[in-house]
Amino acid sequence: MNITPTLSQPFVLPRASARSIEDAVETEAERAIRPVKLDIRNLSVFYGKFRAIADINISIPAHQVTAIIGPSGCGKSTLLRAINRMTDLTPGSHAEGEILLDGENILASGIDVVQIRQRVGMVFQRPNPFPKSIYDNVAYGPRLYGIHRRTELDEIVEHSLQRSALWDEVKEKLNQSGMALSGGQQQRLCIARALAVEPAVILMDEPASALDPIATLKIEDLMQHLKEEYTIVIVTHNMQQAARVSDYTAFLMIDDERAGRLVEFGTTNRIFTRPEKKQTEDYVTGRFG
Amino acid sequence: MTREILERRLHHLQDEVLNLGSMVEQSSVDAVKALRRLDVASAQKIENRDGVINRRRFAIEEDCLTLMATQQPMAHDLRLLAAILEVITELERMGDYAKGIAHITTLLEPSPLPPALLDHFDTMAVQANAMLHRALSAFVAGDVKAARTIPAEDDEVDRLFNLIYGELVERMIADPQSVDQTTHLLWVSHNLERFADRVTNICERTIFLATGEMTEFSASGGD
Repeated sequence: MNITPTLSQPFVLPRASARSIEDAVETEAERAIRPVKLDIRNLSVFYGKFRAIADINISIPAHQVTAIIGPSGCGKSTLLRAINRMTDLTPGSHAEGEILLDGENILASGIDVVQIRQRVGMVFQRPNPFPKSIYDNVAYGPRLYGIHRRTELDEIVEHSLQRSALWDEVKEKLNQSGMALSGGQQQRLCIARALAVEPAVILMDEPASALDPIATLKIEDLMQHLKEEYTIVIVTHNMQQAARVSDYTAFLMIDDERAGRLVEFGTTNRIFTRPEKKQTEDYVTGRFG
Repeated sequence: MTREILERRLHHLQDEVLNLGSMVEQSSVDAVKALRRLDVASAQKIENRDGVINRRRFAIEEDCLTLMATQQPMAHDLRLLAAILEVITELERMGDYAKGIAHITTLLEPSPLPPALLDHFDTMAVQANAMLHRALSAFVAGDVKAARTIPAEDDEVDRLFNLIYGELVERMIADPQSVDQTTHLLWVSHNLERFADRVTNICERTIFLATGEMTEFSASGGD
């Protein structure tokens, strides 16, 4: 009897849609051609005579999560704060170099800092809702920018809370105090507050370090959704978190003069599997830091 | 649901394992067909295709390592990645067996092969591929029950191997001129037999994946 071998039925791939497969297999080459949202060129930030970060050059891609990692004191937060000119708030500080946001140098004299902070929102380490209602927390920014029509504010509040994945949990209690929410909810409220003014970039400074593991994972998942609309830059002490959430990683270290310098920047996959610099290898493998 | 990135990438990797499995199935089926027709051109294509299988295996391996480095998989997720690394190694070797059969086709003299022997090869290939297909489906589904039953089907492949072995040895004794050709045909049956053995290894990984238990089904021999 001759049983002719034939191929079995093709395997059914039930779970992953074609789109998600494409998402998962973006190549290094495809990543390299992403448009740049923030182009940081020769950036140094000084506090008085002390140079906190020196000659930083990073091209931060649009619609991606970029993590800034490095040991304590390496200038991660200084770099982040320079991106929306919060470093200006420290007396005696000044910055040199350029930070181009969509091609416009936000360090240039005469630039409207308020407008910069509208385009570049910030979420801090500890959730810091205002002692106001949930609604008023989110509506605060839009009101500041002159939006007062109730229907328009309602729309902004709902949309922002939906995008920060908090709407379903708070839609019945918008008039309750934001301070009454759990830590994780408060942080998502702060993210909603940042989103309400329609920024292009969201900076996150250790956004989950004060949260429990589940609330942390919720914030991390939220970042994956937010990057479709925004460019995200996150500073984190937690190297594992940087590896989990980011598409790109910048590794900073202090030099002999205690100024933070960029050691290596690249896709997170590469930085955590094939770093080019020994200092990066030592840091991501926990050999120092 | 939390850990969306990890979930999505794990699913993608499982799909990639199935795709790799389909390529290996295709190669083994084509190799046995090319042997029957002594179709050297097809055999050479199959040999070349092995490079594609190997590259795909390396790509999956790299993805597994990247996920381990960046996503801190634990428990079932960690076992899945460890199991995938094993399964793709098995599949890559199974691809090598198909390539080996194709290579033998290119070495044989263009004289007709015994039809009964070719039928046995076909039966072995059908059986081994059916086992592979169900083993990979069980792997992706984490189906321990199927993974425990499939290895027993290897007995039929082993029986055919022993039958072919006996027939070929008799042939060599009866016709010493055919030793060269017959030795090659022994390698064909060996490759098909080992192909099925490696399905058993995949089933062991499914049990490990689902339960954490390291099982070893009795093997019928090494390479």
